[in-house]
Formats: sequence, C-alpha cells, structure tokens
Amino acid sequence: MARLGRLRLGRDRRRTLYALIAAVALFVVGELVHPGFAGLDSVEAILTIASFVGLVAAGQTFVVLIGGIDLSVPWVLNGAAILLVTLSLGEDGRALYALLLTLGMGAGIGLLNGVGVAFLDVPAVVITLAMNGIMEGLTLGLSGGLTCAACASYAPPIVQRAVHEPILGVPAELFLWLAVIVIVSFVLGRTRFGRHTYAIGNNARASYLAGVGVRFTTVLLYALSGLFSALAGILLVGFGGQASLGMGTPYLFQSIAAVVIGGVYILGGRGSYLGAAAGAASLTALVSVLLAMNMPDYGRSIIYGVVILVLLLLYGREEGEG
Amino acid sequence: MPPELAARRERRPFAAHLVSQNIGLLLVFALLAAAVILYCVFFWIRQQSLPGNFELTSTVNNTMPLAMAAIGQTIVVLTRGLDLSVGGIIDLTNALAAVHIQDNVGSMLGWTALVLLVGAALGLVNGLLVGVGRLQPIVVTLATLSIFQGLAIRVLPQPGGAIPPSYTAALVDPNNPWALLYLALCVLLWLAFRRSALGVAIFAIGNDEGAARANGIKVVQGKVIAYTLSGVFAAAGGLFLAATATAGDATSGNGFTLSSIVAVVLGGVNLFGGRGSAVGAIAGAFVTTMIVNILFFSEIDPLYQSFYEGLFLIIAVVAGAVIGRLLRRRR
Repeated sequence: MARLGRLRLGRDRRRTLYALIAAVALFVVGELVHPGFAGLDSVEAILTIASFVGLVAAGQTFVVLIGGIDLSVPWVLNGAAILLVTLSLGEDGRALYALLLTLGMGAGIGLLNGVGVAFLDVPAVVITLAMNGIMEGLTLGLSGGLTCAACASYAPPIVQRAVHEPILGVPAELFLWLAVIVIVSFVLGRTRFGRHTYAIGNNARASYLAGVGVRFTTVLLYALSGLFSALAGILLVGFGGQASLGMGTPYLFQSIAAVVIGGVYILGGRGSYLGAAAGAASLTALVSVLLAMNMPDYGRSIIYGVVILVLLLLYGREEGEG
Repeated sequence: MPPELAARRERRPFAAHLVSQNIGLLLVFALLAAAVILYCVFFWIRQQSLPGNFELTSTVNNTMPLAMAAIGQTIVVLTRGLDLSVGGIIDLTNALAAVHIQDNVGSMLGWTALVLLVGAALGLVNGLLVGVGRLQPIVVTLATLSIFQGLAIRVLPQPGGAIPPSYTAALVDPNNPWALLYLALCVLLWLAFRRSALGVAIFAIGNDEGAARANGIKVVQGKVIAYTLSGVFAAAGGLFLAATATAGDATSGNGFTLSSIVAVVLGGVNLFGGRGSAVGAIAGAFVTTMIVNILFFSEIDPLYQSFYEGLFLIIAVVAGAVIGRLLRRRR
C-alpha cells in the first residue's frame, strides 16, 4: 500500500514537473523569437492571464478527480461577471453584497449540478451541459443581450484593485492565485475531504462501502467548481473593467486542457492541482509564444489540439510502463 | 451510482417487456407529439389556421443537419463514447462544400462524395486515437474539435462561398419536404445496421466491453468504425447545413456538438452506452427544432432559447430515469 502510494505520488510529481518545465521552455523559446518575452513585466502579464484559466481549472480539477466534468463553466463565468457589475453598479459600497451574491450564485449552480449527478444519476456531461444552456438563456434574457442600463457598469474599483494593484511589484491577482494553489493543494492533499475525493475517483462503490459520504462529497465538489467559475468571472471583469458576452467561452476548453496537461487523470482518482496550475501556465505561455510569432487564430487552434493529443499519447505510454 | 441489483430480472408479460425495452423511444415520440400539439396551438392563436406544407418543409429542412449529426453521435454513444468533434467536422465540411461545389452535376456529385470521405477520414482519426490509442473519448474529441475548427477557418476565413441553387433543391427542396426521403433512407439503413454483425458488435461494446472482447468481438475495430461513421454523418450534416444556408460559414457548425448530444439524450439513447436507437435521436432532433419553433410563436424572447433547451434536456433525462425506475420496480 505504502509503495503504491509512493509510486502514484511519484508519477503525479513527475507530470507537474513536466508541465513546469514546458512553461519555462516556452518562455525561453518566446525570448528567442521575440526578445523581451521573458522579461519580468511580460512574465507577470502572461501569468496573470494564466491565473484566470488556473482558477477555473481548480474547479475542473475537483470534479475531474472523481471522474466528472464541468461543462457549465462558460456561462457560469459569464453570468457571474455580468451579475457582479449589474449588482454593484460599479460602486465600492455595494461590492461586498454583489460579491457574496455572485459567488453564491456560482456555488448554487454547481450545487444543482452535483445534485443532478449524485442524486438523480444524470451523467455529468448532460447535467452540466444543460446547466450551461440554462445559464446562457438566463444571462442573455435577463440582461436583454447585455443591453440593460446597469450592464455597462464597471467592476467596483475595489475588485479592479484586487486584480491590478501591485504588491511588491507583482499584481495582486498573482498572490490571489498563489493563495488558491496553496489552499486547494492543502485541501486535496491533507484533509479528509481530499482523501475522500481521491477515494471516490478510484472506486466510488468501494468508497461508499468504506463509509465515505459519496453523494455529499460529490455535491460539494460540483459546488466548488461552480464557485471557482464565478470567482474567475469576477476577477476577469475586474481585470478588463467591463463584462462582455461570450467572455467565458474559451475557458471551458482551456480549463480542461490545463487539467489534462497537468497530469490529472481524466477518469479520476489521480492528479494534483499544482499540476493543473502548471498546465494553465504552460498553456498560456504557449498561446503567448504563438501570438508573438504572429500565428493566426486558426493555427493556434490547431496547435492547441495537437499539443493535447501528443501529451495524452505520451502520458498514456507512461501509464503502460507503470 | 445505480445499484447493480437490477440484474436479477424475472420474466414479465410481453407487453410490459416491450414497453420497458423501448421506453426511451416511446418517451421521445410522446415528447415530439406534445411539442407538435403545442406548436399547433400557438400557431392557431397567432394565425387562425393550422400549420401547412410550408411549415413542415421548413421544419424538416432546418432539422436535417442536426438529425444527421445526431445519427452519428448515436453510434458513438452506443459504444459508450462521446464525439465532441461533431461541430468541428460540420464546420470543416460546410466550408469545403461552400468553397468548392460548382453548378454542374459532376462537381456536385464529386464534391459530395469527397466531402463525405473527408468526414470519414476525420472520424477515422478520432476512432484510431480512441480505439488503438486507448485514450478517453471526451479529451480526444475535444482536442480534434479544436484542430478541425482551425482547419475550417483556414479553408474559409470569412463567411461566404456559394451553394448552387440546384444543389440546395436536390438536398433541401424549399417547397416540399422531400428531405424526409433522406431521413427514411437513414432509418432503413439504421434498421439494417442494427441487425448486422457490426451493429450487434457496437451494442455489445457499449454494454460490456470486456464481455464483448471475451466473446470474440473485435472491440478496437468496432470503435474505429463507430467514430468513422460519426464523421461521415457529421459531414452529411455539414452538406445539409450548407445547402439550407446556401452559403458557408466556418463557425456555423459549432453549436452542433452540444445540440447533437441534446438530441441523442432526448432520443432516449443511454449515455452509458449499449442502449438506444438512431430513430430516437432523429425524433430528438425534431423535438429540439420544435422547441425553437414554439418559443418563436409563443412570443418568448429568443434570448431565452438556451434556457428552455437546457430545461427540457434536464426534464427529459430526469423523467426518463424516474419512469424507467418505476417500470423496473413494478415488474
């Protein structure tokens, strides 16, 4: 048992390391292609972009670890961004109320996803897909296609500062992400809840028989995923100032890609958030390198897919050796 | 986490057996009937008449691309897989059709065949990665989706191109619902496929891959063929989409990934594999179109469209599960 445990950790750490090495290598390549790419400002900017993917990937990691998936990311994120600006009207005084309600909305939607998966036995793909449609319809309908008067509001200054304000010369957003990395890693690696999560991912039935609250844990994990999507939406609107329609769309693909690159096993039970975070960083670095090379949109889209396939094949091979 | 106890199945009356075996199919046709009736009611309120040939034709023509994509998706879902690249294949084939098809019979036939072949090749890539590469269908097809979408934009950077009117007339006659003939052909093909060795293999793989392998079914080959067929049907969807729109757009297929899954689920195909019918998926595709039609006539803001689609999807899945459970309990 102990040996097995060490082996698993070894493989997870190795993959996290691969993702980190890939990120560093991409920065080096970027510097060669476009001098100044690996400069401090540039690295900070790229990591800030990566942090939004990383936050969504945190939620995605939670559900992928139990063999699930969250396809409701795009419109939970988008809905959260619009909800925040319309509730706060760009005023700091209303920011706390707006933040709590928006995060509550995200967690609530995630909770519904979890109830569908855990209690109604609906496949995760279907329930989160349907929920994405529901959120899209509600977001578009209630905001009149983003034509409502309050929709043009800016994010409250305090939220904007939470993203941009430099602390020791580094944007606050990066400290936020670091905090999330530490907390999520701690929760997954060191708490009962985390161990239950891995147990369910490895064998839900055995976990149930061993006394793990499978349904309760599942619901909680989906709620966390919704919460992180909403958090990413809030910070993204703080980053850009205003909300827009479709701003959440890229994050579905990118969050799943980050999770896969980071070595989280898509059928659950193996992987770490540090890996997914490293995956987010290397994915964003890759996009930035391609941008620096003036690669057109379609080329980036193709390379995205190819990179994921290559990694999947490499990891699959490693699986066979172990 | 369904309890595995359901396996102890006793004999029951033939009618009850038939009902419980085809519960998904019955549900989707009930749903379709309800949707049609609701549509007629709203239509009557607005127009003081019943919908006629024109409404039928436009409904059929608008449903054709989705129906095609849903048939392909069904075959993959039956193997317990999922094809998220359907949207990308439709994007790419739609773009190819719009760029290349000229107004003469040779070009039309040639490019139709070629586009279907391209679809088969794209599906083959998915199938090889899933079957031979033993990778997870969701991530594989998510990755190829991105690749196919990129290729589509490479082929047709801006919406445009043109589809000759005669091609449109051949596929989706705007005056009469002749397109139903293609669907009838698909249903016949499906019935033959269902009873063929390949069909049986695909159902077996979805039900229990290990048992299928142990019984000498070529699992890898079955999966590769399933994804290839999905690619062919998605390509057919791309052709129908181009014919209805009379022009190409390299992003117009994106929505079909999700809506094909919606159609399949509404159609009673079990996402855990091994159970379902392309006939149900076609009906599911029509339900999806009818929902849009009903929303249009009930004066509900079209912005809410996705909301109702999502809601109906959840209701259909939960209702299917609950009714299935009740039937099993009654025995």
